[in-house]
Amino acid sequence: MNMYKIISGLFFTLAMTLNFGFFYGDPTQLIEHSAYELFAAIIVNLIATVLKLGDRTQLGAVLLATSLVADIQLIASATVWAFAEYVAKNIGLEATTAIVSLSGGALLANSVSVILFIGDTIKSKR
Amino acid sequence: MNEQIIWIVLKRLRTPFFVIIITFSISILGLVLIPGATDQGKPYQMTFFDAFYFVSYMASTIGFGEAPYTFTYPQRMWVSFAIYFTVIGWFYGIGAIVSLIQDEGLRRALNLNAFKKQVENLHEPFYIILGYNSITKTIINKINGVDYRAVVLDKSSQKIEELILENFYPHVPASVGDATNQQMLKMSGIHQKNCKGVISLFENDMVNANIATVCMLLNKKIDIIIKATLPEQVAHFQKMGLQHVQNPFDIISKRIYFGITSPHIWLLEMWMYGHILKLKGRDKFPNGKYIIYGSGRMGQAIADGLKKAGVEYIIKDFTSKKYIEEKESTIFGDAKDVQKLIDLGIKESECIIAATKNDILNLSILNSAKQLNPNIFTMARENSLDDLNIFKAAKINKIYVVEQILADATYNFISRPLVDIFIQEARKQDEEWAEVIVNILNNITGMNPKSFETELNEENAYALSLEFNAGGDITLSNLRRSRENKNEMLQIVFLLLKRGDEVYLMPNSQMQLQPNDKLLIVADEDTYEDFEYIINNIYELNYVLDKEDTNNLLGFWGKHGKIKA
Repeated sequence: MNMYKIISGLFFTLAMTLNFGFFYGDPTQLIEHSAYELFAAIIVNLIATVLKLGDRTQLGAVLLATSLVADIQLIASATVWAFAEYVAKNIGLEATTAIVSLSGGALLANSVSVILFIGDTIKSKR
Repeated sequence: MNEQIIWIVLKRLRTPFFVIIITFSISILGLVLIPGATDQGKPYQMTFFDAFYFVSYMASTIGFGEAPYTFTYPQRMWVSFAIYFTVIGWFYGIGAIVSLIQDEGLRRALNLNAFKKQVENLHEPFYIILGYNSITKTIINKINGVDYRAVVLDKSSQKIEELILENFYPHVPASVGDATNQQMLKMSGIHQKNCKGVISLFENDMVNANIATVCMLLNKKIDIIIKATLPEQVAHFQKMGLQHVQNPFDIISKRIYFGITSPHIWLLEMWMYGHILKLKGRDKFPNGKYIIYGSGRMGQAIADGLKKAGVEYIIKDFTSKKYIEEKESTIFGDAKDVQKLIDLGIKESECIIAATKNDILNLSILNSAKQLNPNIFTMARENSLDDLNIFKAAKINKIYVVEQILADATYNFISRPLVDIFIQEARKQDEEWAEVIVNILNNITGMNPKSFETELNEENAYALSLEFNAGGDITLSNLRRSRENKNEMLQIVFLLLKRGDEVYLMPNSQMQLQPNDKLLIVADEDTYEDFEYIINNIYELNYVLDKEDTNNLLGFWGKHGKIKA
């Protein structure tokens, strides 16, 4: 058992699950998607990214890349939300679907990341 | 940036990032959850954007004030906690990033990276110089940008800083690094095609031997110029197949030998090192008895030279280290020392050589000797270039500066190979021959001519190579005509011609020239410039060759264009 592995595994998975929690629901109904959950997803994703920093292996590099993709997607989603609310003063259907689908893309990146992480664990001989 | 640097940065940034993310997210969440009120007192809950905006300027201590509405007391209580929390996190993060920039490891990695890039970007031929000191500095000053470029490795960062302060132009890439380290040698470009060689002139023979072995294994094609002071070491290096082994003491010994047996050969060699081409009275080595003070490497080498020359000598077993330990002084000349000098026969001797490792001791030995015998010829070994002035003021007949000799010999080998060959060849001749040569040179080129080397290829002799391609026959005497008046002779002497591996000393003036012949030319600067005009400018060449119509390459202009300078 390795404490670092536990913590990083926890954050990688949590990033994915929170992401899924936000994404799940009717993409046209913003009420079904909680802002708190998006906030939590962003924070956990950022932490997961930091945990992946400094791993010199090939796998580490790919994990870092997927994580960065997820960050970008989630932050874009939050930005669209803030923009629609404060600048456009109205969250229309287009903004709603954009917010949800951007987080959907992040979910995909997070899933890839978790799959790679599991694959690496299975491959390891200990 | 290379891989390694990115990883160093990323790994170090982990904790600061972590701290910033955690402190920010907790503060933001708190602000979102705590109820506030609008200006009219209606309940208002901050959104994530409001909170993110507020925390961002709070944490970085910019502080625009409470927004979007004045805070309620519960909010202020949370904010007063969050201020300390985030500001500390922020300062820690920024501090860590700043200290990372100043980090020794990162700086070294960055410097090394820059060094590697600079070496890769060198397109001229270059030498790798190991160790930066007054010897290698002299060499760099002479070769850098003129014939070759230089790359320097030194163990001590202080030396490298000294080099950077020197501001060599063109730039000399330099890095801190162990010269025996293969990785460092590779980074210095030992595998590069334009790497001409490695120069290693460390005081310690063992270090030089180490370096030579490593360099030989890394790249067989390069020249390895190495210093060796013991005969066994020299033999060992030669067995390894090293082309050039520098032994400063051997050079000194040979100079003394030739100085005694054939002064004109000595003169020719010294002239190549900057002496004027005339034997002065004070240059004459005495033939009487010699006393060598100091039986180290130099003392032994000189004794060998004197023995070969058949001169009477005494070598005094004397080491500076022992003397200083016994007397606790570097001043030679108490009653006991004087008695020793008298016992050695100082009054009947004609020459004394102080050859110890200590400069001050050498000076004081010669001083005491002069007091006992004012007419004695004095020679001193001087180890470092730094206190040359004291020696000059002391009126010593001959000073052998070990470092200078090493630097000059290395420079000759690298940049003036024909001079090096000429000296070797001249040593095989006899005194009579040398005297004739000196007379010829004096008559044609004066007392202080310079020597130049050139290769007759397209780059150095454009017109001449066109002529070669056209099948023209050119002899040395053709090129000796003046471009002002072809019936007059240029004041120029062709001292040596090298064709492939063959060397012609004082080549016959009727000798046919071939492409890529190398010439050692003696002339003054203006005359040599004239000569360069002739071999490079088609019109000038045609004029001295006495050709009226010119070859087809010139076309129309060639028929009319004749320039008289």
